[in-house]
Amino acid sequence: MDKKVAVYICRGCDIGDSLDIDALTSVAQENEAAICREHDCLCGDEGCELIRQDIREGANALVVAACTPRFKTDTFTFDSCRTERVNLREQVVWSHEPNDEDTQMLAEDYMRMGLARAKKVDVPEPFDEEISETILVVGGGVTGLAAAIDAAGAGHEVVIVEKEAQLGGWSSKFAKTFPHKSPYRDVEPVPIEDRIAQVESNDKITVYTGAAIEKISGQPGQFDVKLKANGSNPEFRVGAIVQATGWKPYDASRLEYLGYGKSANVITNIQMEEMISAGEIKRPGDGEQAQRIAFIQCAGSRDQGHLPYCSAVCCRVSIKQALIARDMNPDAEAYVLYKDMRVPGQYEDFYRKAQEDSGIFFTKGDVTGVEVVGDSLQVAAESTLLGENIKLEADLVVLATGLVPNAADGEEIRRFNDAKAVIEKGEAGAQLDAAKVTSEELKHLDGSSILNLDYRQGPDLPQLKYDFADSHFICFPYETRRTGIYTAGCVRMPNDSQASQEDGAGAALKAIQSLRTAKQGQAVHPRWGDQSFPDFALQRCTQCKRCTEECPFGTLNEDVKGTPLLNLTRCRRCGICMGACPERIISFKDYSANIISSMIKAVEIPDELEEKPRLLGLICENDAYPSLDTAGLKRIKHSAYIRFVPVRCLGSVNTVWIADALSGGYDGILLIGCKSGDDYQCHFIKGSELMDKRSENVQEKLTQLALEEERVQLVQLPITDYEKMAQVINEFAEEIEEIGLNPFK
Amino acid sequence: MSQALLLKPDSRFVEAIVKSGGGDLKKCYQCATCSVVCELSTETAPFPRKEMIWAQWGLKDRLLSDPDIWRCHQCNDCSIRCPRGARPGDVMAAVRQKSVESHAFPSLLAKAVNQAKFYPLLLVIVPAVLLALALVLRGPIEAILPFEEHGDAFYAGFFPHWLLIGFYSSFTTLSFLGLLVGLAKFWRGMAAADKAQDRAPVLGIVPSIVRIVTSTLVHDRFGKCTDKASRRPAHLLAFYGFNVLFVVTVWATIDLYLMPIVGVDSLYPFDLMHPMKILANVGGVLLIVGCVLAIRDRLGNERQSGFSTSFDWTFVWLLLSVGVTGFITEIFRFIVDPSQTTVLEYAAYTFYFVHLVMVFSLLVYLPYSKFAHIFYRTVALIYGEHSGRTKESGRPELKAAPERKMVASS
Repeated sequence: MDKKVAVYICRGCDIGDSLDIDALTSVAQENEAAICREHDCLCGDEGCELIRQDIREGANALVVAACTPRFKTDTFTFDSCRTERVNLREQVVWSHEPNDEDTQMLAEDYMRMGLARAKKVDVPEPFDEEISETILVVGGGVTGLAAAIDAAGAGHEVVIVEKEAQLGGWSSKFAKTFPHKSPYRDVEPVPIEDRIAQVESNDKITVYTGAAIEKISGQPGQFDVKLKANGSNPEFRVGAIVQATGWKPYDASRLEYLGYGKSANVITNIQMEEMISAGEIKRPGDGEQAQRIAFIQCAGSRDQGHLPYCSAVCCRVSIKQALIARDMNPDAEAYVLYKDMRVPGQYEDFYRKAQEDSGIFFTKGDVTGVEVVGDSLQVAAESTLLGENIKLEADLVVLATGLVPNAADGEEIRRFNDAKAVIEKGEAGAQLDAAKVTSEELKHLDGSSILNLDYRQGPDLPQLKYDFADSHFICFPYETRRTGIYTAGCVRMPNDSQASQEDGAGAALKAIQSLRTAKQGQAVHPRWGDQSFPDFALQRCTQCKRCTEECPFGTLNEDVKGTPLLNLTRCRRCGICMGACPERIISFKDYSANIISSMIKAVEIPDELEEKPRLLGLICENDAYPSLDTAGLKRIKHSAYIRFVPVRCLGSVNTVWIADALSGGYDGILLIGCKSGDDYQCHFIKGSELMDKRSENVQEKLTQLALEEERVQLVQLPITDYEKMAQVINEFAEEIEEIGLNPFK
Repeated sequence: MSQALLLKPDSRFVEAIVKSGGGDLKKCYQCATCSVVCELSTETAPFPRKEMIWAQWGLKDRLLSDPDIWRCHQCNDCSIRCPRGARPGDVMAAVRQKSVESHAFPSLLAKAVNQAKFYPLLLVIVPAVLLALALVLRGPIEAILPFEEHGDAFYAGFFPHWLLIGFYSSFTTLSFLGLLVGLAKFWRGMAAADKAQDRAPVLGIVPSIVRIVTSTLVHDRFGKCTDKASRRPAHLLAFYGFNVLFVVTVWATIDLYLMPIVGVDSLYPFDLMHPMKILANVGGVLLIVGCVLAIRDRLGNERQSGFSTSFDWTFVWLLLSVGVTGFITEIFRFIVDPSQTTVLEYAAYTFYFVHLVMVFSLLVYLPYSKFAHIFYRTVALIYGEHSGRTKESGRPELKAAPERKMVASS
């Protein structure tokens, strides 16, 4: 279908007063706009009716030159038509001198870029595939049960896979729990039996106990699961997965300085639970009743040498155990030595109850060691609230050890498997030696996989900070770096059982959401609703595997030769594969190397005599672009020499654009993306990082061309740093002006 | 600091403090609001935060040899502001009770005196029996020893002065010996604790005494309490009332027995307009008014005035009773005609006897009751000056909050 491009220029919000609209109209007409209209308030009913009228008369590619695309998005969205937005308000008139020559040039360039884009993009057609609506819950503990009950309640079939013979997990192993209801003062029985009964009586939920996952292949909506369960191998298809595999206690044998292993009377909080369940608190060393029990909080937690994080529950567990110990033996005394008592919310009242008990003693302090002195133990602590170093005699020392996520490290297991494959192949050479080293180093991972995903990037979820599987803790809870697989409970973060159940519900909702979007042929968060998807022109593929390696979401598998195999519903549409591809064979209907290149080339580059530099800004549309808009809203002015092209992610930037820009006469290129590193803010995990790596190659190329390497720069800017945006741009512009114009003009 | 202290937590001592009025002790979470708001707490020896955790852990030895517990006057500025409701002021009071009980000699008596179940026996029966015994023994003693009654005091016929003075001086001497033993133990305990921490005395004993006596005369420390200012006048009245009565009693004894020796005729019993008699009556009124005000305070607002235990109540009611029965006894003296035997005369003797029982309970049990605070507090305060606890190094001035500057927008 031929394109009939219609351009609409809004004069509202200072645009009409700051720009020569007639000149802008001429630019549109010169660039093959079939229709070009202006209006004082385009977003009003009258303005929109103007557009609708043209659509009825055949306009099918719209360019709206008004405010930022982040405003009035619904207003300017019309059926069967794509709308390109030219951001004249925030990024032109509100951030530059009105009625200025450079401002006018900027507006005209943005008009050309919008038109270039409008001419090239196609309306994406959503894919249509059959989607299974069953949800697989891995782990039958308190979290998994909650996820299953809630997902079944929402009408989905659920399958629970539990490795142990019974459902219930840790919760069914503990006799009592800290309170879950007002007045939050008394220990309670663990309410797990009810939950198990609810699951067992629910005909939407199928339970496999004593089972493990042998293999999961496929993609969201079409995961094919194969189990190993009591000698049989059931196979079925599910649509989404909730991983609720829980936690294991921190290995106390590494806490020798706290006496563990030196005396049988130094035990962990898990051993204490076992004694409580057995009904008697005795010294394991001699079977005597324990009269003086010392609880050491943060044993191996919040400690850079051990677990650096707080496990959230240990304080309440020790309070509970102290109260139970006092209840079982009123002559017993309990000492609690803590770094900080962390008893969130209403649990302060539970803490109070223990404090009020005359036989429970609390002090803050750093425990420096536990010594065995004769029959008893001596706990030494520094910096206590008593204002001095103390020693305490105890019959029993309980180490409040933390929670370690019961997760497998997918990426490391993959390294191990790859090394094993190399060894099996038996080819000699340096590669084999390296593989042998890796295989030896990682041999503890053999058989550690939980999900056994058939993913090129590894059989389990990639782990993030502290080995928890998550994609972005703050911004995208429950999400992982594998679309359609969501984590909940202690495998995601240290939680108590109540929070774990809420987690289960949250992850179940995420799983349902992913099924719904897959069914509608749309991407999940963060490009929710995006119907475009990558298209691979495989006949030109060189099997370099960059796309399969760089995809943050494990979307692509490989065939034996290394050709990428697309799993569409795993894709988040970030375009990182497109940025990675040296052959530029990957494209979206509305986002491709070609489309962006034509936008870059649409800008009119003034010749050297005019002495007006032109800078290209490739800007991440998730955080940096909104930040630039905010700067405009705040009327912060910046250099008018720069032309911004929004990109889905800096990781989707193909270096060909940089080469095109430099050869086309741009004087400098500024890449603005999100923060990378451990506390990254990238919506697609590692966009800035990947761009950084690619720009190393760019720098080499610059040196070859005898261009200054300062001409291409990468900046990481959090969304909140809009105040710095103008400074970043202006400093870059000044630097380029100092260096001088591009000799390739 | 480097030497680690082997803690011996004592949950029984914690329970004892809880029972003595420190019921909220365990609520403390060591924020130190108490030490900060306390006007009497100094930088060189702040309290009561440290006492709170010592008490929570039942560190008996620490608390008992701590002079700072006596630097608190239970104004409860801290208890009112405690975010946790731990009532440090009341805890300090409970610890003081425990301190008196444990230092007292013999300690068994101290434990008994402060238990309500022994009140009838110790406060009524024992003094009454002893006084009755004295009356019985009066005749036999007079037969052996030539005691001569001076003057013609009304009550002397019933309970002659020589017997009165002999009786009370012997019992109070015994109890004061017990008190001295307790105070000496207390002083040694404080000194040993400071020595263990390498804290050297900074001021001589005599100047320390001078400082404390002058400050006690005006109750200036009490005056620093902000929320419960009414306790200071009540205490001042009772304090001066008691001391005036003490002085006139001593003077009466001197007048009766010593003046004749130097050749001055005894004026006893004093005329109503005699300066000493006026002073005595004024003292009695001050004592009664002071006690009534104190009782009113304690009944009025427990939150502000602190939780009152039987330790407090026994003392203040006893003091009031001594004042009231004293006045009644005096009034009878003026209305009864000594030449005739009437019912009134027997009533007068009965009240006098009751008064004597009260005086016995107040004075003889002094080292074991709350009355002992006069001595323990004074000793602790003197020790406080001696060891440099009250040196004010000045509170640091709060820095002004940094100025906030808006980052320029366009």
